[in-house]
Amino acid sequence: MNTTKLAIIGGGPGGYVAAFKAADLGLDVTLIDEEVNPGGVCLYRGCIPSKALLHIAKLLNESREAEKWGVKFAEPEIDLDRLREWKNEVITKMTGGLGQLVKARKLKHIQGRARFVDAHTLHIDKADGDQDQLQFENAILATGSRPAVPGVFRLATDRIMDSTGALELNDIPASMLVVGGGIIGMELGQAYAALGTKVSVVEMLPGLIPPADRDLVKPLQNKVAERFEEVMLNTQVTQLEAGPDGLTVHLQDLDGKKSAKTYDKILLSVGRVPNSGDIGLETTAIAVDERNYVQVDGQMRTAEPSVFAIGDLVGAGLAHTASHQGAMVSEVIAGHDKLVFEPNAIPSVVYTDPEIAWCGLTEEEAKKIGRRIKVARFPWAASGRATTQDTNDGVTKLLIDPETDRVLGVGIAGSGAGELIAEGVLAIEMAALASDIQLSIHPHPTLSETVMEAAEVHYGQSPHLYAPKRS
Amino acid sequence: MPIEFALPDLGENIENGDVVSVLVAVGDTLVEDQPVIELETDKAVIEVPSSISGTVTEILVQQGDTVAVGQAIIKVEISAAAAPAAVPPPAPEAQAEAAVPAPQPAPTSAGPIEFALPDLGENIENGDVISVLVAVGDTLAEDQPVIELETDKAVIEVPSSISGTVTEILVQQGDTVTVGQAIIKVEPSAAAAPAAAASTAGAQETTATPAPTPSPGTPSAAPAAATPPAPITAAATTTPTKLVPAAPSTRRLAREIGVDITQVKGSGPADRISIDDVKAHSKKLHESPSAASSIAQAAPLPDFSQWGEIERQPMSKVRQITAQRLAQASSTIPMVTQFDKADTTDLEKWRKEYGKKAEAAGSKLTPTAIIIKILGAALKAFPQFNASIDIASQEIIYKSYCNIGIAVDTPHGLLVPVVRDVDQKNIIELSVELGEMAQKTRDRKVGPADMQGGSITISNVGSMGGTAFTPIVNPPEVAILGVARSSIEPTYVDGELLPRTILPLSLSYDHRLIDGADGARFLRWICAALENPFVVLLEG
Repeated sequence: MNTTKLAIIGGGPGGYVAAFKAADLGLDVTLIDEEVNPGGVCLYRGCIPSKALLHIAKLLNESREAEKWGVKFAEPEIDLDRLREWKNEVITKMTGGLGQLVKARKLKHIQGRARFVDAHTLHIDKADGDQDQLQFENAILATGSRPAVPGVFRLATDRIMDSTGALELNDIPASMLVVGGGIIGMELGQAYAALGTKVSVVEMLPGLIPPADRDLVKPLQNKVAERFEEVMLNTQVTQLEAGPDGLTVHLQDLDGKKSAKTYDKILLSVGRVPNSGDIGLETTAIAVDERNYVQVDGQMRTAEPSVFAIGDLVGAGLAHTASHQGAMVSEVIAGHDKLVFEPNAIPSVVYTDPEIAWCGLTEEEAKKIGRRIKVARFPWAASGRATTQDTNDGVTKLLIDPETDRVLGVGIAGSGAGELIAEGVLAIEMAALASDIQLSIHPHPTLSETVMEAAEVHYGQSPHLYAPKRS
Repeated sequence: MPIEFALPDLGENIENGDVVSVLVAVGDTLVEDQPVIELETDKAVIEVPSSISGTVTEILVQQGDTVAVGQAIIKVEISAAAAPAAVPPPAPEAQAEAAVPAPQPAPTSAGPIEFALPDLGENIENGDVISVLVAVGDTLAEDQPVIELETDKAVIEVPSSISGTVTEILVQQGDTVTVGQAIIKVEPSAAAAPAAAASTAGAQETTATPAPTPSPGTPSAAPAAATPPAPITAAATTTPTKLVPAAPSTRRLAREIGVDITQVKGSGPADRISIDDVKAHSKKLHESPSAASSIAQAAPLPDFSQWGEIERQPMSKVRQITAQRLAQASSTIPMVTQFDKADTTDLEKWRKEYGKKAEAAGSKLTPTAIIIKILGAALKAFPQFNASIDIASQEIIYKSYCNIGIAVDTPHGLLVPVVRDVDQKNIIELSVELGEMAQKTRDRKVGPADMQGGSITISNVGSMGGTAFTPIVNPPEVAILGVARSSIEPTYVDGELLPRTILPLSLSYDHRLIDGADGARFLRWICAALENPFVVLLEG
């Protein structure tokens, strides 16, 4: 039987970062993943391909908008095959790069599926048909998650796509219903809308992007009101019928009002569920909670002291969180055994047009836990750079501790918010005060100035936003 | 919107306490200053009053919980009328102690420079070289490990703070190297080469944290075998902290060296915690080992259950603090105990005669009250007994006030409340005060302030018995008077054998400050005053 110091199961952004870190720390590592190269959902079927499509969507939208700036383009022709090919090239380039890094680090990489035989042994069904057993001292579980499919959507039809199907880009449907107005649904919905699909959204909750503060969602909401056919909130899908012309969707809103509409396709994006079911956890002491997330302590250690779990499998829900956890766990295993996963801020980004990003405390959370905060808001209507880009609908806000002026949360809506939020993460992690941001020179003219100007708002007046003093 | 009421700063360096009881319930109308919880700190049981008014919506702690200063206790819905500022978690006082920066070699252009063992923190002064990781002629990059050093805390790699070419190795395996001692000589590269060579294993660790890093030279087969130093506090939990105002690098250092960062006071703006703050805190912990760590250092215990049934009980806060303080006193103070006897036959006669007056005032005229008065007078006559030693500054601190601590036996353990300004009170006043204070102490209602500022302590075990004992000085005081049980002994008085009441006294004192002759004189003076209180008027 083969042995390894550290077995890592799953090669997504949690697993491969953990593997690389562990190898760099001198550990003997075996990475087990189904694909030829690492990458996971993020690179193969998630973050990366969707960003490629959103890049195209942005280009299409801007070329259409350019008319009001005095530049008129002809209606673009979309070569779907070439577009798909380019998206796949992006994936191949990225995952191939990771494959090279695996070789450069001389990592043991096994293509296959692993499951526990006991708390120190894995059984591996290799991609080449062989079977193997691997004995390990430590293991990191990073098997990720998959799209959730509620019962009503379990229909044998190719008209229902999940995010994976949508990213395959088999066709550009004439009409599409996005079920679930969360991050994935809104991103892919906008991508398809830009390609020409008539997109509608149905969301069970009263607002789009439920975890974000409402003021940050507003610009997106306004934008999709223009570009989407319909946004149905507080509404549930009760039944589906497949017909020759499409899928007929039966809907019911909060008041019990029912309706039925027919779409070419459905994009199902109602959340993701952890891949904890088929890895032999029952042969170990590892426990899962009622939603099947693997239970871990602050060090990401499971009930089996030699085994750790990270990423979507424990409910992280974000690639960057998984990566951070993975790197930390490898350090723990390498002997830095006092480390604990305890970030002060984790950024969330919605890569829509306009983007939404936030980190640290949100206003909703502050309300929920009864924490007093001051909110300093800087609307992009007062930003020079935003005006030059015709993106005045954005907003940057700081959530500030009223006693210490410490920055507790940052929220940004608008073009490039995902890039801008990094300053907020650093500010919160470094325990910066609003005055630290206010007194740091920001380049002009950039959107990053809005962060500084929000801090100025906190201290009274920003130069570019005059608000009469409240008495 | 409900706001949280958090445990306010209780002063006295109190950082946390155990909840004895919760005095409010959900739905209660809470007014300012109304007690919210009863809290047992290591000093006393105190009631924590609310600083806000409103309706209690949630209780966040329960009996037995340990609550830290700043931790939320209850949630209160502020009444619309009175919604002033919520009480913020108290800002711990800024306390800055700049850590000594690691010695950096002066970057001179001419000739090789020495790389000396930098400050490794953690009070590490020296270590033994396990292996030298560079050789003459090697190109050394900044942060590249130079030697492997075994300190009394851990085996660590010492990274270079300079880059260049190694020209000389000044230490060898087995050498003991002290902080500041030169280890190697390096010819600095003209254009400081970046750490190209050090891009592989181990090079990420750029700080001199005393945790082992796998060495690139020795591909470690079992890295988990090298464990970091044992924690010096109980911080080695895996519970994540929440929004501690410290940078990630600072929080990581605290984790690595076993410092509970929530206990560190920040010296930065709005109490931001720096790496120096963490190091200073760690240093402080090493200098004054807590009760927990001094117990941790005790020899391992056998398994008592092999000889019969046992029961383990947690030590109360009072017991923990008693154990810690007495161990510290016993190990740091060279103590001498002087014994003497006083003939209190006449005093006892007077005490019974005048006892009625004390009763009229609401108390009993006890021997302790009389001894307090006489001891107060003795402190006036012998000021070195009303003093403290400041070893750090090599000074003696003399006190003009005259406060006497009384060791009180309570169901919770030994407590020492202090009677103040005994020189300004008569014996009846002292009797009354003593009676009240003893009761208050047994009810555990004395506060930390009531138990501080003593000049000297009296420990009276006369009611229990004994002929003599050796009490332990209660630092920073320098003496303690032990009182045993008086008995009637046959005594020669003017050549005649008479039954006399004899009171045995034991005086333990700090020999660093008090010489033996002074100790004998002081105790004799007290005996003489007990035999003939006129001495007090004459000399006290």
